[in-house]
Amino acid sequence: MKNMKLRTVLIISVPIIIFGFSLIAGPRMINPFVADDISREILFSIRAPRSIVALLMGMALGASGAVLQGILKNPLADPYILGISSGASLAAVVGIMAGAVFLGSFTIRVLSFSGALINGTMVGIMGWKRGGLWPERLLLAGVGLSFFFSALLMLLMSISSDEGLRKAMLWIFGDLSMSEWSKIPYGLAFVLPGILIALLRAKALNALILGDEFAHSLGFSPHRERFILFVAVGLMTAASVSLGGMIGFIGLLVPHIIRSVIGSDSRLLVPFSALGGGGLLCIADLISRSVLAPTELPAGIVTAIIGSPYFLYLLRRKNVLSI
Amino acid sequence: MTDLERTFCGVVKLIFLFFLFTIYFSLFTASYAVEPPKRIISLAPAATEMLFALGLGDRIVGVTNFCDYPEEARKKPKVGGMSNPSLEAVVSLKPDIVVLSVDGNPKEFEERLRSMKIRTYVFYSKRISELPKGIRDMGVALGAKEKAEALAADVEHRINKLRENKKTSLKKKVLFIIWPEPLMVAGPGSITDDALQMLGADNIAARTASTYPKYSIEEVIRRAPEIIFIGKGQNSMNEVSEGLLRRLKSTPAARNNKVFYVSDYLYRLGPRTLEGVEELEGYLRQ
Repeated sequence: MKNMKLRTVLIISVPIIIFGFSLIAGPRMINPFVADDISREILFSIRAPRSIVALLMGMALGASGAVLQGILKNPLADPYILGISSGASLAAVVGIMAGAVFLGSFTIRVLSFSGALINGTMVGIMGWKRGGLWPERLLLAGVGLSFFFSALLMLLMSISSDEGLRKAMLWIFGDLSMSEWSKIPYGLAFVLPGILIALLRAKALNALILGDEFAHSLGFSPHRERFILFVAVGLMTAASVSLGGMIGFIGLLVPHIIRSVIGSDSRLLVPFSALGGGGLLCIADLISRSVLAPTELPAGIVTAIIGSPYFLYLLRRKNVLSI
Repeated sequence: MTDLERTFCGVVKLIFLFFLFTIYFSLFTASYAVEPPKRIISLAPAATEMLFALGLGDRIVGVTNFCDYPEEARKKPKVGGMSNPSLEAVVSLKPDIVVLSVDGNPKEFEERLRSMKIRTYVFYSKRISELPKGIRDMGVALGAKEKAEALAADVEHRINKLRENKKTSLKKKVLFIIWPEPLMVAGPGSITDDALQMLGADNIAARTASTYPKYSIEEVIRRAPEIIFIGKGQNSMNEVSEGLLRRLKSTPAARNNKVFYVSDYLYRLGPRTLEGVEELEGYLRQ
């Protein structure tokens, strides 16, 4: 298993290196050892919280994706397919367009978080039958709700002013520029427990992937495990959406990439998908704030542009697709 | 062919040509010798303001959903948005002329109207210096020549005055914020940037990729603006701007209390634009 160790080291160290690099690189390079006042301020109060938020969001999305593909037994599952993001976007865009400010700069975050939770709960209710959550029901309920909320979102956007439309678009494509230290504790409070639950129930997740009867014979209650994992995913996704809007593709792509590197044992897949997601979002954000500086691009666009081709390459190369 | 036939052919050709000429001239003169239009539709908020300023307000029979100034404009029948007005609504109001603007309205819509034999007028000015000519042309096209001349002369006078004043130094580093979260600012090609240039101020977002770019906060700190303007007034922007201003507290503007909430007059090129420029000038002088 020497190879495995090397891979593990690689998967852990790459995101850490990326994180470090995302601090010193940007529109202009900053050497942390000879930084003047302005550079130090940029480093500590602008870049550091931003990179941490990127890391957190990416981790939440990566881990959610890995868990969801497992509990839904579907390689196409990602946190957004459940429609959680469209509920969050709808709530946030309503807030942006109505100019809601009742909680100051937290308003839109709180709105999107509640939107995500409400949507998640609705998907859960729709997916619930005969004492438990059923994968196909969850998936279809998610897709159905997602269409409904997207339609409402489009409706809102088509009757809004051009200015409101632009603000809404910027938010929907993901925006990390407003990351502040003060918002990180709230993100941590939801993302870390989510990842922790997923890690603790990773064995059960492995069993669920093999089928409900199999899980049952191993002593897991499939419905109970699925419910716990679903709640964990809901919390992580809602937290990530409220931290920085919708960042596409990480939840779908990263688990597949990680699976092709370390295999599909959830005990490894979940933590490494989290790390990989964090690393990818960090680098996507670095690119989005640097290439056209001082103009910033939405990070969600960059993740999809660098992510999709690699995903397609993997797809062509692999003979068997599994979850 | 006999001579008679040849003469006959010649006459027919002549008559035909004569007809062509009459048709041509009648069309030509129809489009120029205008009688003032009685039913006007405006498809841009700036154009609506201009029409009211030219005293044509009572002839307006339709406006967009965004035409909110002056107050009377809100009461006019609506024909949809700027980028997606309803053709049906426009046609059913039987306008004599439809006024469009070159930035806000799709070109195809104007072509469609013309193909339906509806007269159009496109307000094409994009910069403050082009405003007087734009006003005069509009006055001619809509039959409000005197009012337009007076308004244009006033605008010209104010522009010249601003240009003279510019000699005294207003060369300060400025950032004009359109929206704080995410940070969107006035970039090149915006009327605001044009105004800052006219005043001789240095817009730190003058060289960016788009007109209203999403701007890097660390670059704001790095470029250290001496004055920060926030558009659209204190009431609507105060609370949403809090977070951003906290993060910009080390900039000279924030340290010296040079953060000003200003009007949104500069968001539209129209009769109120100069007021907006003068407002900025006032703050730049402080």
